[in-house]
Amino acid sequence: MAKQSIYQREADFLEKSKEFLKRNSYSRGELQLEYKQLLENYEELVDQVKIITKISDRLQKKLNKTNDKLELTNDQLNDTNLKLNETIDALTEAKIGRRSATIVMFVAIALFIISEVWIEPIIESHFGNGLVGLGLKLVVAILIKPGEDLMNKYMLKRARKKQLEEATQAE
Amino acid sequence: MDNLFIEGSKQTPEIKFEANTGILEIKGRSIPENTFEFFNPVLLWLEEYAKSPIDKTIVKVNLEYFNTSSSKYILEIFKRVKAVFTEGNDVLVEWYYEEDDEEMMETGEDYEDVSGLPFELIAVEEE
Repeated sequence: MAKQSIYQREADFLEKSKEFLKRNSYSRGELQLEYKQLLENYEELVDQVKIITKISDRLQKKLNKTNDKLELTNDQLNDTNLKLNETIDALTEAKIGRRSATIVMFVAIALFIISEVWIEPIIESHFGNGLVGLGLKLVVAILIKPGEDLMNKYMLKRARKKQLEEATQAE
Repeated sequence: MDNLFIEGSKQTPEIKFEANTGILEIKGRSIPENTFEFFNPVLLWLEEYAKSPIDKTIVKVNLEYFNTSSSKYILEIFKRVKAVFTEGNDVLVEWYYEEDDEEMMETGEDYEDVSGLPFELIAVEEE
């Protein structure tokens, strides 16, 4: 019958030998038999300890190897994730850049039309000089690039905030 | 006698012992929380099987990992199979290991040495 714990059989043998020692007298034959059994059990136990220790150490080595592989895979995953994020950022920036350029161009055209149709006639009638109107158009033209940059920054900030919110929700 | 089947889990191996074919299979990972509870029915079944084994017994071991206490029980399994072998029956242990798993191959060699059973070490391709 299988016993109740992993080393139950060995513990039982040990207990039996201790009981034997408590006896008052022993015959030579009994002593020989007990010693033989004890020796056999001890030998078996030593063999078991040797093999189990060897196997345990080897499997620990295997576990360490697996851990190293996992760490490597984890590092590779982190690298890939970083590259992916960089690509997503670059794509988002390009998309936003195009959108902000379009918006700023429409605003500039609108300003040009407003200036041409309403503001310039007023200025010309007031100053009697076309140069002021031309200067105004020049200011609008100069402000296009900084305006586009500002718009770009604002839209990028909004997009990143949105991405962060989505990532937090996903977690 | 009845066959023994224990479904495998993340911590325990699949046990499929068939008394009628003499094929005894242990497959998977063995890191049970209570090794005695898991392996005791296996050892009891083997003790019964050893009383009237069929002519040829094949033990197929395909373990990816096992803990120290499981290694002791695997040794106990081989001891019971050895009893079948010493009675004059044909016994073969097929020890499977993944082809790049040097540690599991060497462990098979150690069990072969200590058990005195005929072993066949079989490398399998990684899944």
